[in-house]
Amino acid sequence: MEQNPVIQIDQLSKVYTVNEREAGLIAAMRSLVKRKTRDVNAVDAISFTVGEGEIVGFLGPNGAGKTTTLKMLSGLLHPTGGSASVLGYRPWERNRDYLRRMTLVMGQRNQLLWDIPVIDTFELNRAVYRIPEAQYRLAVDELTELLELAPLLQKPTRNLSLGERMKCEIAAALLHRPSVLFLDEPTIGLDVTMQRRIRRFITEYNQHTGATVLLTSHYMADVEALCKRVIVIHHGKMLYDGELTGLADRFAPFKTVEVKLQNGLDGRPLAQYGELMAQTEGRVTLRIPKDDTASVTGRLLAELDVADLTVQDPPIEDVIEHVFSQSPSPLDDPDPQQAQSG
Amino acid sequence: MFYLRLFVTYLRIGILGELEYRANFWISLVQSALDLCVALGGLAVVFRHTDTLGGWRPEELLALVGVYFLIGGLIRTIIRPSMTKFMEDVRQGTLDFTLTKPADAQVLVSIQTVEIWRLVDVLIALPVLSIALLRLGARLGPVDTAVFAVTLVSGGLIIYSFWLMLSTCAFWFVKVENIQVIFMSMWQAGRWPVSIYPSWLRAVLTFLVPVAFATTVPASAVSGRITGATLVGTVALAAAMLVVSRWFWRVGIRFYSGASA
Repeated sequence: MEQNPVIQIDQLSKVYTVNEREAGLIAAMRSLVKRKTRDVNAVDAISFTVGEGEIVGFLGPNGAGKTTTLKMLSGLLHPTGGSASVLGYRPWERNRDYLRRMTLVMGQRNQLLWDIPVIDTFELNRAVYRIPEAQYRLAVDELTELLELAPLLQKPTRNLSLGERMKCEIAAALLHRPSVLFLDEPTIGLDVTMQRRIRRFITEYNQHTGATVLLTSHYMADVEALCKRVIVIHHGKMLYDGELTGLADRFAPFKTVEVKLQNGLDGRPLAQYGELMAQTEGRVTLRIPKDDTASVTGRLLAELDVADLTVQDPPIEDVIEHVFSQSPSPLDDPDPQQAQSG
Repeated sequence: MFYLRLFVTYLRIGILGELEYRANFWISLVQSALDLCVALGGLAVVFRHTDTLGGWRPEELLALVGVYFLIGGLIRTIIRPSMTKFMEDVRQGTLDFTLTKPADAQVLVSIQTVEIWRLVDVLIALPVLSIALLRLGARLGPVDTAVFAVTLVSGGLIIYSFWLMLSTCAFWFVKVENIQVIFMSMWQAGRWPVSIYPSWLRAVLTFLVPVAFATTVPASAVSGRITGATLVGTVALAAAMLVVSRWFWRVGIRFYSGASA
């Protein structure tokens, strides 16, 4: 997949200077004159490359720096350090040719005009992007079919449900057929069916146009369905870049073993085999270090009346949770960000 | 040409949007008609007692009312709604969508909302202005008309630039809507020639909030009282303010995208 790098980031950093104010009126008055500021490393020297046609999942808890990174890549923010190149452009120079070839979708904000029918927002984007009439017709027809927009286009945005609106948002953002897509939580707040539809659409668009997609999501189902490769960041630092399947190997050296016993538990001490995760009548889930999987299952089969036994990788949610709980949060950071006044 | 076509698209969308709220049309119509009655009634009262007001004769003041409604209508139709939307976008973060568009962000921001019913003010202004110009007609040559057009455009640009600079402050202070309210109340003072006001208020209306340039100056062009210096000054100020507001806008954008941090 790594043929032509479309997105190249090297040591990209963004430091925000935030105002700090202690509680209380006197402190508030003091801050009118002299402000205490603190530097926050929102993105801290991250580097990665995304090849043409790749769909990469960008994971991290809230405040990890995902959106800041996407904003830098879409030209909205200037980085404080490092470099980035997308399609050969420096994003924050906001070259028109670059902007015409990329798009940014933010699940939490909408660009559709509230009071007018969806199709008229499309018309507006046609004018702004100077899309030729024929190409525009084609794009609208295609998106209408793929996203089932036909009954929605004539309705004003305010009459649409959240899911319907998101479909239209995505369509509006893709009319100019961008070759790079930055999707920031495109499925947030949607029901499962709608999430699935949007996922399928992203895959179709990717296969159809060969577009490169960088996507953030809190829904692991999105990531599992769409991305072979994930990049994990936490507190602005990169923790992982690689295959989604490798994430478990790297961060969760465990397997989950589910055992069903013939004669119930009979009060047998199963904890000696591994960490007890769940236990119901006759059925036990154990967490076992990956290296011991063979020996433990062997012992289980030899020593107990096992009716059924399955060995699985832990669910990706658990792995991610594990990753984030392991790295220190800034509150526990022994060396707090330096405070300066200015 | 591209931006003109874009403006037409926004205009079309403005019409569509407002058609959704038809009551607005009637409200605007009544409001504008009332405004006009108040303005004309004021003139009638004044000229019952005197023949001139600060040297202005009735038809000259009628021209001033026409200019006041014309420029005021354009402010209410395009500038105020667009800038209000812009400030909202800054607060909600939706400005990001404007900034990722392959077109000049300042232009997009400045024409993005058209409150079409407000054009009623413009429609009212045209006959008022026409009547005033016809009455003044005998003394009005092609040069005067050209000067009038130039000052009118300059005045409009001065107001636009001024408003853009006020709005750009939203990048730093986020909530600056009240500035607009203050501006609109200052604008009311433009209904009368600034020469009738005490000197301190005249200075405010000329230099602090440049209302005078958009109302009194064009009206003096048709009443033959404009001096060459005022004309040159108005055009120069318009050009300077366009440049400065553009520069300030860019500083604001750079601040927004955190280059300063």
